[in-house]
Amino acid sequence: MTLEEKLKILADSAKYDASCSSSGSTRKNTGCIGNAAINGICHSFASDGRCISLLKILMTNACIYDCKYCINRRSNNVPRAIFTPEEICEITINFYKRNYIEGLFLSSAIIKSPDYTMERLIETIYLLRYKYKFNGYIHAKAIPGASPYLIKKLGSLVDRLSTNIELPTDTSLKMLAPDKKTKDINNSMITIRNNISKTFAPAGSSTQMIIGATKDSDKDILEKSANMYKYFHLKRVFFSAYIPVNQDKMLPSISIPPLKRENRLYQADWLLRFYKFSVDELFDNNNNFNYLVDPKTDWALRHLEEFPKEINKVSFNELIRIPGIGITSAKKIVSARKVFKIEFKDLKNMGVSLKRAKYFITCNNKYFNNLSYLNKEFITINLLNDNIKERQLSLFD
Amino acid sequence: MNYIILYDGSFNNLLITIKYLFTNNIKPINIVKEDNFKGSLTEYPFKPEISEFDKLNILDKNIFKIIYYVYLSNNINKELVIYFFLLNYYVYKSDILKHRNLKCVNMALAISHKVSREAHLLKGFTRFKLINNEYLYAKIKPDNDILELLSMHFAKRLKNEYWIIEDEGRKIVSIYNKDKFFIIDRCDIKLNLDNTDNVWEDLWIVFFKTIGIKSRENKRCQMSFMPKKYWQNMIEMESEL
Repeated sequence: MTLEEKLKILADSAKYDASCSSSGSTRKNTGCIGNAAINGICHSFASDGRCISLLKILMTNACIYDCKYCINRRSNNVPRAIFTPEEICEITINFYKRNYIEGLFLSSAIIKSPDYTMERLIETIYLLRYKYKFNGYIHAKAIPGASPYLIKKLGSLVDRLSTNIELPTDTSLKMLAPDKKTKDINNSMITIRNNISKTFAPAGSSTQMIIGATKDSDKDILEKSANMYKYFHLKRVFFSAYIPVNQDKMLPSISIPPLKRENRLYQADWLLRFYKFSVDELFDNNNNFNYLVDPKTDWALRHLEEFPKEINKVSFNELIRIPGIGITSAKKIVSARKVFKIEFKDLKNMGVSLKRAKYFITCNNKYFNNLSYLNKEFITINLLNDNIKERQLSLFD
Repeated sequence: MNYIILYDGSFNNLLITIKYLFTNNIKPINIVKEDNFKGSLTEYPFKPEISEFDKLNILDKNIFKIIYYVYLSNNINKELVIYFFLLNYYVYKSDILKHRNLKCVNMALAISHKVSREAHLLKGFTRFKLINNEYLYAKIKPDNDILELLSMHFAKRLKNEYWIIEDEGRKIVSIYNKDKFFIIDRCDIKLNLDNTDNVWEDLWIVFFKTIGIKSRENKRCQMSFMPKKYWQNMIEMESEL
């Protein structure tokens, strides 16, 4: 099998992993080649609009497990391949030199046993770091069920070490990934959490959940995600819209991945991590998101009695709860209002988007229009119309 | 008098010229690089004698960075933006950045953000070729003059490689000799760019085409993150042009 054929198979098998971030590490070029950029760098964007930062590949796709949703499951009749450690190193170094990538994302199907797979991953990354003297970013996957000493060894070689939780609940995992045990996944995450330091996965840990393969609600997913941030000190929880690649009676019969749902979950995840929202606040009686408006706008529309908020007075924490105002805009507002009274035109000039915010604020006690417009129906209809107009305009781009 | 102030095009000279204007209380209607001045009937070109002036004393690193990035931009009014920004800086000192009701502050921040953004994008989008198995060569065509910022990045990252980056539009190249980089005019060097090795380029294209998920295809999103103007020098996008 040629290197090209292997790359095709093993990139194809790795592409369903959502994480491609290369941020969080300050690794300097003390070796022969490479360093890390604290904010990460995107090197290209694939046809699906996702960033390509890392050479995302599996070491092998020949798996002993039979997870229902996975393209690489044992019972699938797909071409199988395995990279040698040298092949992975050669591709990484040569891609890196030409600035195609920021580093390597290495995962693997389970070959023989979790420990055996981990040993092969360690061997590869050790070679890359010490023989090829590569000092760029590496994200590796810890294989659930592998011995803690192997996890520790791998963590000391990479910038990020992560384990995929795969599905939001224990029941879903049992149903769709019968070979994977929640206990093993949790233990891997605990070992990683307890060891994270400047010399062990300095860019932290992350995980991924498949969305829409089971009946779990958005609230179940977010609660799971909030708990994981809390207990495993994760940097990120990635959501991956379920893509039907296999036929199985246990799997839902959908043809299009639930991308809108994935998008809403990411927005909500941001609200939990940076905007001090709690999971309960984001849902009313329904445990799923409103797909028409984003979760923050949806929350604000359910709490219109708290609005409009005066831009020149309310605290930073209140500012970031206004739809359309992010952390950066709130910081600009707090800094500017120390020296002058902010009007609507000033917000526009300083680059604060008013598309959503204008319905929920006053500037120097002035509302953008008649206050009777501060009602749920009017705002929803206008926001939806804006979205339609934007989409129509973009057809002429 | 409607003075158009001329300077030699360098950042240092621009700062000294601006200091001269402040000291002599001259209000220019524009400040332009002397090579770009085309003459006018109603305006008077004036190039101050400035040898005795020191550079403007800007202590705040952040402010210095903002005006330097504005200087690197392709904005046609960048010199005036810097002039008005500094004029206000001497009034408000480090509080200047809070004065987002001043046009010059908003403009300076927006322009410097654009430059920094483009430099960041090209840290990712620059594509090197290995020539003669000897040195790496990349061609870029950025809107702003970011070759120096980019060179600083690659001097750290690829510190043990010989590399050359060419800014096609400005006809300048940055040459790195495993120690320092030098930016010189393109016409001052001869490059033979024929002998490239395509094996890794072909593999990269295979990887690039494989990694996109068909059922999630979103070319609009791809283009908004990776503007089309950069595609001409990105090997994986050449077939899309």
